[in-house]
Amino acid sequence: MNELPQQLVNGLLLGSMYGLVAIGYTMVYGIVQLINFAHGEIFMTGAFGALTVYLYVLPDGTSMWVALPLMLVGAIIVAVTVAVGAERFAYRPLRTAPRLAPLITAIGLSLALQQAVWAWYPNAKSSITFPQIDGGPFHIGNVTIQTGDIFLVIAAPISMAVLAYFVMKTRTGRGMQATAQDPDTAKLMGINTDRIIVVAFALGAAFAAIGGVAYGLKYGEVNFKMGFLLGLKAFTAAVLGGIGNIYGAMIGGIVLGVAETLASAYISDIPGMEKFGSQSWADVWAFVLLILVLLFRPQGLLGERVADRA
Amino acid sequence: MTTQTTAPQTPGTPAAPAQSGLIGIPANIARALTLGGAALTIVSTFMSWTWTSDFPGDLTVYGYPGGLQVLVLIGSILTTLFSLAGYDIKGLRHLVPAGGDAALRFAALATFATAWYTVIAISDELGGIVNLDPGGYIVAIATLATLVGALALPFEKPEPDPIDPDDDSWEKFKNKAAHQRATIKAAFAAGAPRPVGKLPSWAEILVIVAVMALGLTVFTYGIGTQYDELFIGFLLTAGFGFAALNKSGLVAQATQITSRHQTITVFGAFIAAALFPFTQTDDQYATIGVYILIFATVALGLNIVVGLAGLLDLGYVAFLGVGAYAAALVSGSPSSPWNVHFPFWAAVLVGAAASLTFGVLIGAPTLRLRGDYLAIVTLGFGEIFRITVQNLDGTSGPDITNGSNGISSIPDLNILGWNLGATHDILGFTIGRFANYFLLMLVITAIVVLVFRRSGDSRIGRAWVAIREDETAALAMGINGFKVKLIAFAVGASLAGLAGTVQAHVTYTVTPEQYQFAGPIPPNSAFLLAAVVLGGMGTIGGPLIGASLLYLIPNKLQFLGDYQLFAFGVALILLMRFRPEGLVANQRRQLEFHEEAEAPTVLSKTGA
Repeated sequence: MNELPQQLVNGLLLGSMYGLVAIGYTMVYGIVQLINFAHGEIFMTGAFGALTVYLYVLPDGTSMWVALPLMLVGAIIVAVTVAVGAERFAYRPLRTAPRLAPLITAIGLSLALQQAVWAWYPNAKSSITFPQIDGGPFHIGNVTIQTGDIFLVIAAPISMAVLAYFVMKTRTGRGMQATAQDPDTAKLMGINTDRIIVVAFALGAAFAAIGGVAYGLKYGEVNFKMGFLLGLKAFTAAVLGGIGNIYGAMIGGIVLGVAETLASAYISDIPGMEKFGSQSWADVWAFVLLILVLLFRPQGLLGERVADRA
Repeated sequence: MTTQTTAPQTPGTPAAPAQSGLIGIPANIARALTLGGAALTIVSTFMSWTWTSDFPGDLTVYGYPGGLQVLVLIGSILTTLFSLAGYDIKGLRHLVPAGGDAALRFAALATFATAWYTVIAISDELGGIVNLDPGGYIVAIATLATLVGALALPFEKPEPDPIDPDDDSWEKFKNKAAHQRATIKAAFAAGAPRPVGKLPSWAEILVIVAVMALGLTVFTYGIGTQYDELFIGFLLTAGFGFAALNKSGLVAQATQITSRHQTITVFGAFIAAALFPFTQTDDQYATIGVYILIFATVALGLNIVVGLAGLLDLGYVAFLGVGAYAAALVSGSPSSPWNVHFPFWAAVLVGAAASLTFGVLIGAPTLRLRGDYLAIVTLGFGEIFRITVQNLDGTSGPDITNGSNGISSIPDLNILGWNLGATHDILGFTIGRFANYFLLMLVITAIVVLVFRRSGDSRIGRAWVAIREDETAALAMGINGFKVKLIAFAVGASLAGLAGTVQAHVTYTVTPEQYQFAGPIPPNSAFLLAAVVLGGMGTIGGPLIGASLLYLIPNKLQFLGDYQLFAFGVALILLMRFRPEGLVANQRRQLEFHEEAEAPTVLSKTGA
């Protein structure tokens, strides 16, 4: 069992990636009560945005230490453009429609984005190799951190801090909180709620883009389908932490990541469960966790905003 | 059906304030132009359109129309009839109970679109317009003339909004654009149809039979189209043609008649569907037929969950998969780990019961919560089902489902000594394997329709609709929300399982890849949902039409190929934006989506 610290760190890293994507779900849901089903695909376009910068904008052989910040900017620009465009042209016209309508739009959007990348991005019919940072794995005591995970170690806490500052301290951030509590009253107080919604979409997309770059570095490749299952997991993370609660998203992500890692590492030690421990069952366990949380604590770990305007 | 209420445009109404056409031609000339153009189009379909038979369908023959010409002929006959009705000819008035001009515009549009599509396709595929024969030029000019004439017919234009002098130029531009849109909308809007008089009941049943025969013919024609061009022409003609019939008020009248004899209509529809295999000479199109029917039946089951109860199930295909896998495991297939061979009725029960169990397991924890959770949990369940059956292959899990290879060589069914795998001869008609399964599947469809109709009109069905419309209010009225929703979810799941048991036998093999969230081959969860939404939520006809279209379009239009899923996604977005109530609108939903529309005086119980 001496590998437990290692497993915990692995889970923590995986979980902070889920958390980065989950922020987008939770923020949009908190303000407009919409499951932005296409958020997983926004994450995916972010990763492809970063890849485009590396492959087609920067000269060959650029050092990753120079390239990475530029790739990050590219990822954020692409993801935010897609998200804001989707909000403006697909979701906004449906704001007063019955709630099934925007959800179906979101499914359509998700498919369209996936297929657009598949059909028109060069060589995207199979996985594309993502550029990697040089340098060996890092050892801290017994724990090894893979090179690809270094980015997450740095980016996740910084993103979280920036987000917390934005939401708590800036005018727009406080406007977001007000809109989430009561959009009509917020409007009366002079808050431009349309703008706030756009900001929520854009911000969520930016964090998803950071997550997308992290995914590419972690797994070494990206593909058009990567957003689907990860989006599902990230949504699970958002529900786990209490949907609508921004800190909950990060916590939920980490809990999910750790639980998933531990399940695939240790479940096979339980008598009778020998065959259910491998990596191929990890998704199943993540989902079982979601069902259990919904059964016993549907408001999530940190508690959901209570307002039910459904 | 319409959102604008303009008065029926019959000639002889006193001139309304702004009566003019979209194109500035005097009304009587426009009417003559329409009629002349339509007549000329009829003549031109009997001529040669191109010199070579390289273009599919052989359009080179003088004397009788072929291929796309037939479609243009049908469109032009319709146009001629409507434009004659515009001359107030006695006996033709009953063709246009809601005023003929909007219908005429659509009929002209149908003919124009099909004819020009054909002409452009000929020029494109054979390399230039030199390949057109005189008939081709004539039909192009004649249909254009008809369309111009039809668009020039006068109609009542809406009043523009007064322009606010303070507006900036962008506001003025927006105002003007909105007015233009309203004008075009008014041009294609028809008035309320005259209510149909009480006919003797044999005559009404005759009308129903005619409608069913027409439906069967259109469907059979669509399935039997041999090449891309013909299918596109078919979609153009059928789509605009149906719009024309709709605007003329004929559809509304037929609906009135069928709703007076609902049971007969449903029986008639099933008889018409059962006749389909007998119209086919080989099993080729019966294959398409049975796949459409599976798809449509599952979509109809989903419509109970989504359309009636308003629960968004994004993993519905997994319940089909549970049923199919359950039936496959007990079918005596050599790749099943259990060496058992259940009779069909037992397999059906096992399949439906397995799906029911999973439905309750998934539904019970999530249905207590808000609807969004259900969407995501079902989506997750769909994925997990696929991953699980993929893993149960002996290496990454216990050996049950044979992993990604699936359970293969599922034997054909044998019901009461009737071997469904063999070809039979009945009264000189050959009924092949797929035709057998088509008829069996039709029985399953009938069960689903029966459940849908009976439960929809029952106490529980009204509780579903109440919950869909406003859960808080429904709970306040004393409905046990959780119980009612769980029943809807479980019923939907077991109906899908039922269909799955037949599907396993039709396809010989069940594999995990058949049950994806989204894939190129229906049924999968995304396509099922799309069939329901496209067709119309909460109706019976809607999912059937939606499923047929969604199956036939990718199947017939091979050139869409790689882009069909993309097109599908975009189509979903546009559909939600512009016609969220679907093709066959449930009246209650229609009102929900278009608040400006006026409520009809009477709604049936479920609003269907």
